[in-house]
Amino acid sequence: MKQVVVHPERCVGCMQCMLACATAHSRSLTLFAAVQETPQPKPRIHVGAGRFNEGFPNRCRHCDPAPCQMACLAGAIYRRDSVDTVMINPDRCINCASCAMACPYGVIRFHEDPLGPSGHAIAVKCDNCSARVAKGQTPACVEICKAGALTYEEMDAAMRRKTRAVAHSMSTDADPSAIPAGVALLKSIKQSELQLSGS
Amino acid sequence: MFDPRESLSVTQDGDRLFAKAQQDGVETVWERHEAQQPQCGFCDMGLSCRICIMGPCRVDPFGEGPQTGVCGADADIIVARNLCRMIAAGAASHSDHGRDLVEVLAGVADGSAIGYKIRDEAKLRRLAEEYGVATEDKKPLVIAGELAQAMMEDYGMRQKAVKMVARAPKKRRAVWEKFGLTPRGIDRETSEMMHRTHMGVDNNWQSLLLQAMRNSLSDGWGGSMIATEVSDILFGVPTPRPTTVNAGVLKDDQVNIVVHGHNPVVSEMVSKACQDKALVDLAKEKGAGGINLVGVCCTGNELLMRRGIAMAGNHLMTELILSTGAVDMMIVDYQCIMPSLGKVAACYHTRMVSTSDKAKFPHMAHHEFHPHNAEKKAVEVVRSAVENYVNRGKVLIPVTSQEAVGGFSVEAILGALGGTPEPLIEAIKAGKIRGAVGIVGCNNPKIKHDYGHVTLTRRLIENDILVVDTGCVAVATAKAGFKVPAAADMAGPGLKAICNALGIPPVLHMGSCVDNVRILVLVSALADALGIDISDLPVAGSAPEWYSEKAVTIGTYFVASGVTTHLGPMPPITGSMNVVNLLTSGLKDVVGATFAVEPDPEKAAVFLRRTIEGKRKALGLDARSVD
Repeated sequence: MKQVVVHPERCVGCMQCMLACATAHSRSLTLFAAVQETPQPKPRIHVGAGRFNEGFPNRCRHCDPAPCQMACLAGAIYRRDSVDTVMINPDRCINCASCAMACPYGVIRFHEDPLGPSGHAIAVKCDNCSARVAKGQTPACVEICKAGALTYEEMDAAMRRKTRAVAHSMSTDADPSAIPAGVALLKSIKQSELQLSGS
Repeated sequence: MFDPRESLSVTQDGDRLFAKAQQDGVETVWERHEAQQPQCGFCDMGLSCRICIMGPCRVDPFGEGPQTGVCGADADIIVARNLCRMIAAGAASHSDHGRDLVEVLAGVADGSAIGYKIRDEAKLRRLAEEYGVATEDKKPLVIAGELAQAMMEDYGMRQKAVKMVARAPKKRRAVWEKFGLTPRGIDRETSEMMHRTHMGVDNNWQSLLLQAMRNSLSDGWGGSMIATEVSDILFGVPTPRPTTVNAGVLKDDQVNIVVHGHNPVVSEMVSKACQDKALVDLAKEKGAGGINLVGVCCTGNELLMRRGIAMAGNHLMTELILSTGAVDMMIVDYQCIMPSLGKVAACYHTRMVSTSDKAKFPHMAHHEFHPHNAEKKAVEVVRSAVENYVNRGKVLIPVTSQEAVGGFSVEAILGALGGTPEPLIEAIKAGKIRGAVGIVGCNNPKIKHDYGHVTLTRRLIENDILVVDTGCVAVATAKAGFKVPAAADMAGPGLKAICNALGIPPVLHMGSCVDNVRILVLVSALADALGIDISDLPVAGSAPEWYSEKAVTIGTYFVASGVTTHLGPMPPITGSMNVVNLLTSGLKDVVGATFAVEPDPEKAAVFLRRTIEGKRKALGLDARSVD
């Protein structure tokens, strides 16, 4: 089964995945209109800054077993095995945040949501864009990422690709530059700057 | 909560005032920089394009996503266009600054610019001659009017070349002619740059960058040079004079007025108003000892160069100065003024005043200065500052001020050398002074505040390289104590001897950022004296902590004039290795100079020393090897 695979080395920190995710979980489904909605939709993927100010797209791992599911006393969190997705039922959530305490990745947020009960904050996290996928689309974050940091594929296929790349790098006369020269140059400048300022 | 691991500044007042700002709940540039992380890699690499609405577009640097914009522009074109627009913006800023001075000159001639006058008639006449304005038997005001008209022509399309291009050495002008780099008109080149970067115009990345160099030269030998020269005519040619720097220049028992921005058209009038007897008396009535005018950034540098007025800080200090609680008023005009300042000031009693019709800011009271009313307006705003003195709350001025010497115009340097560049040339030939580096530019939260400037300066003077500086750098090195005669002890033996003999510090403050043209004039004089091109001289440039578009333009006009220039932070060009390679290597074959990027000032020092020793060797002078 296909899933969203994260390739952290490709993330350029543009945060477009966040915009697309929020838009996909709005009522109006376009960015401009989504921003005007009350309540405003919020992203379920979150780009954080690494030690060298590189980007990292942090999304729910849909763990199995899921710590959040085990922590939820209201029984609002359940797993849909057919799509390998951990879901939160907005109507049963009591906003106690036990799930967030249990989650090792910090991907759960709490707010009133366009797709939840009105006037009541609930736990909100990635739902693997189940509505989009049911219509034959790819998850919104994957569709918008132009740097290849988020792909939608079988995990095995992604790992096979990685195996091939690693195997290639082991050959003699292998091209040592796995990353494009410009990316490597900018990265080394940023690392240098941060190291100089004591980070 | 932003938690810097280490101190953010190499300066005491920077660290102490940052702590005070945090304590007072004041948000600064550092918190906002942190909140922006991670900054978008597409933009950082120059690979995002917003020039038309078929976009916005971005190119995937990893080669899998889109490789061209909707119009078909590839990474080379997108990166080049973005850089070109930065250069156009920088050139426009400096050239507008020059334009405002030309307007005042014209206003002095026709009497409408009340309170302004010609302070250096000799320079007026010299400049008029350069512009083909006859000066014999003509009154200064008439000359001024005709010179102003002639300078206005420099901004347009009627000429083959901007007039002061003629100041460059013959060999350098020949290089410009060969590659089509001779700037024709100041506004013209900026306008053409904007045209060329419109969708579907110039789609050759080399052609775009050549126009960018021409545009930068229309600033360096045009707009900025006019700004500096007319400022000298109206306000005086700087001569060496003592001053003081850092937050300690604020006084807890006097009315403190800080001028910020760029154009001396405003700060000179404020300076005059601060000496108004009625206002000084008013200050005393309010319990203050007097009126203490200080500057930050370039307009402060202008006042320091000509009047020895103290400098409270550079770019990253502009918010922190306010957190002393000691600033009764900050008066701004344009450029490098953070729109956050009004919010910072609102946490204290400080009154913020904007003065330029071109530059309005949130939470500032707008009192528009024009040449015909500036003198009067200055008195009004200074009065308001004096009246604000009684509203002071707690004050923390966390350091005592540092002495420094500024005022090294080219005229002053030549004067110190005895009237000609000969003694400096002899010292360079003999190897006592290996060469010279102009360290220029701004601050940037990406680099520890002033760390780049101070470290680089120290390493260069230790190795007998004379340093001249301008802008934010000049404040950094003054604060670090490099600008007192005793600082010669920090220099290597050769430089130390020269400094002691001439009674100058090893680091010469040459002015504000438009005054970078003074460096162009100086290297031209040296090149002419030796009959060589600027690119043959053992000189180099550096902007260790730059941030602004103006800095890109300045760096480009230095390189285009033959001065290899180091940059600390990387410009947004890594999206195209073609552009990177042209700027850092290919330009050698075009203009005889290149850029180099290195955030670490220790490594930058090694690079600059190698560059200088390499030039020495090529001239047949003794050359040291640098490890």
